[in-house]
Amino acid sequence: MELLWILIKILIVFAVVMFHVMYATYFERKVIGHMQVRMGPMRVGPHGILQPIADGLKLFFKEDIIPTVADRKVFYAAPLICLISALSAVAVVPFFEGFAIANINIGILYIFAMSSLASYGVVLAGWSSNSKYSFLGGLRSSAQVISYEVAMGLSLVGVMMLSGSLNLTDIVHAQMKSPFKIYLIPQIIGFFVFVIAMFAETNRTPFDLPEAESELVAGYCTEYSGMRFALFFMAEYIGMIVMSCLAVVCFLGGWSGPFDVPGIPFFWFLIKVYFFIFVYYWVRATLPRYRYDQLMALGWKVLIPLALLNIVLTGIIKSMFG
Amino acid sequence: MKIQYDTKKNLAERIFLLEILKGLGLTLKRLFSKSVTIQYPKERKELFPGFRGKHALIRDPKTQDTRCVACMRCATVCPARCISIRFSVDEKTRARKVESYEIDALRCIFCGYCEEVCPVNAVVLTEEYEYSNYTREPFHFDMERLLKNWDEFLEKNKVDPDQYRNPFLRPRGLSIGDLPVGKRIDVPEEWTLEGQVIWKDGKAVSAKDAVSE
Repeated sequence: MELLWILIKILIVFAVVMFHVMYATYFERKVIGHMQVRMGPMRVGPHGILQPIADGLKLFFKEDIIPTVADRKVFYAAPLICLISALSAVAVVPFFEGFAIANINIGILYIFAMSSLASYGVVLAGWSSNSKYSFLGGLRSSAQVISYEVAMGLSLVGVMMLSGSLNLTDIVHAQMKSPFKIYLIPQIIGFFVFVIAMFAETNRTPFDLPEAESELVAGYCTEYSGMRFALFFMAEYIGMIVMSCLAVVCFLGGWSGPFDVPGIPFFWFLIKVYFFIFVYYWVRATLPRYRYDQLMALGWKVLIPLALLNIVLTGIIKSMFG
Repeated sequence: MKIQYDTKKNLAERIFLLEILKGLGLTLKRLFSKSVTIQYPKERKELFPGFRGKHALIRDPKTQDTRCVACMRCATVCPARCISIRFSVDEKTRARKVESYEIDALRCIFCGYCEEVCPVNAVVLTEEYEYSNYTREPFHFDMERLLKNWDEFLEKNKVDPDQYRNPFLRPRGLSIGDLPVGKRIDVPEEWTLEGQVIWKDGKAVSAKDAVSE
């Protein structure tokens, strides 16, 4: 019975996440279009509402091209590594009270592990394609993810100290009991570092160097086509959703809100996640890409010291008041 | 010379990334502005008078034929040399008669010199612009085709041939005495020498005053 319930949960979460991925692409194009005083997709269905379905069909029926010089086994595996690690990270996210596929004690660490694994997919895709653009994309990705993983981990240490747990559900509960109800206020430095590291971790603008289309064609997925390319695409969007969920759970109080919405326990959670996804698009429409050395300088010289400072400050506050 | 790549910022700008916030504010403002897109097949751009589109020979309402007198001015002025005309001369009256009038639209650069220079307003560039095709053949207009272009243009745009005006049929800012007889047609006030306003020395002045100075 327990197993069946978990399977049903997995199915529901998978379907919901995939639906969100579909419409995340649509809203990205719409939001960025309107920010650039364009309209975005308009032709498939009213206001282009069926565009994601058309895109999906197109990608599904596209020819699957594999370069003759590619390392085939790794080439096949890379998009799967990306997608599977991105999807598995969703398992520990608590969407509302008592609803998480796996309520494990090391939730944050697990998400970190999975997002690091996803970068293996990127690196292997870059390496196995046997193409200079893919190779450079993979190389940049590994450097970037390693640098920002550190800052991201350190930025969440403050949250762990305040809540005394790595379990995502416990973190939300601890926030509800805390004086400000959310950790955004006592952890504002941590939040700042986390948001920047979150952009870098998911390879989004202004840190989209691994796929930098103006210099590297499409970076690590240059040689991929059809459904294999779509897998990378899905992994990227699931990564965005997971990172937004993590930000909501750790800093914005998860599913709790100013008032309860009857019947929809995940209402506030979704609103907050949508806000973060919107910020992703918003930033993409606003900022140009960082140069490689600026990216490294920001990661090592600004974010990591800031995160360490945050840990020290949190420790002082905790020892004085807690 | 020292190139300053990074502009000087004060402490507040450095810490709170004010420039990035300003940029975010701008994009957010644009999100709620009206988009400039014209949804092409459904909506079309409004064309200005004098738009230079598909070529046509005006069909004279009286004779039901072209007004062309084979003066060869259009073929002479054409920078792309896309107009070729053959004519015959009547032995007694010495009057010219057009035998063939051909425009190769693929060579045309749509400068509008031909319609501007035509003394009888025979050739015109209509406001029609959707005539792409898969082969070169349809772009080679002979006289019959050019007259038909005019008929189609009138029919499609519901234009009265007597009312059709185009800035090239009576070039703007010229007095009536400077124009050949065929170009002395009634036009809106602002196209005439008296009515046209031009920009000179940072002031809007009447074209007539500018010419007399």
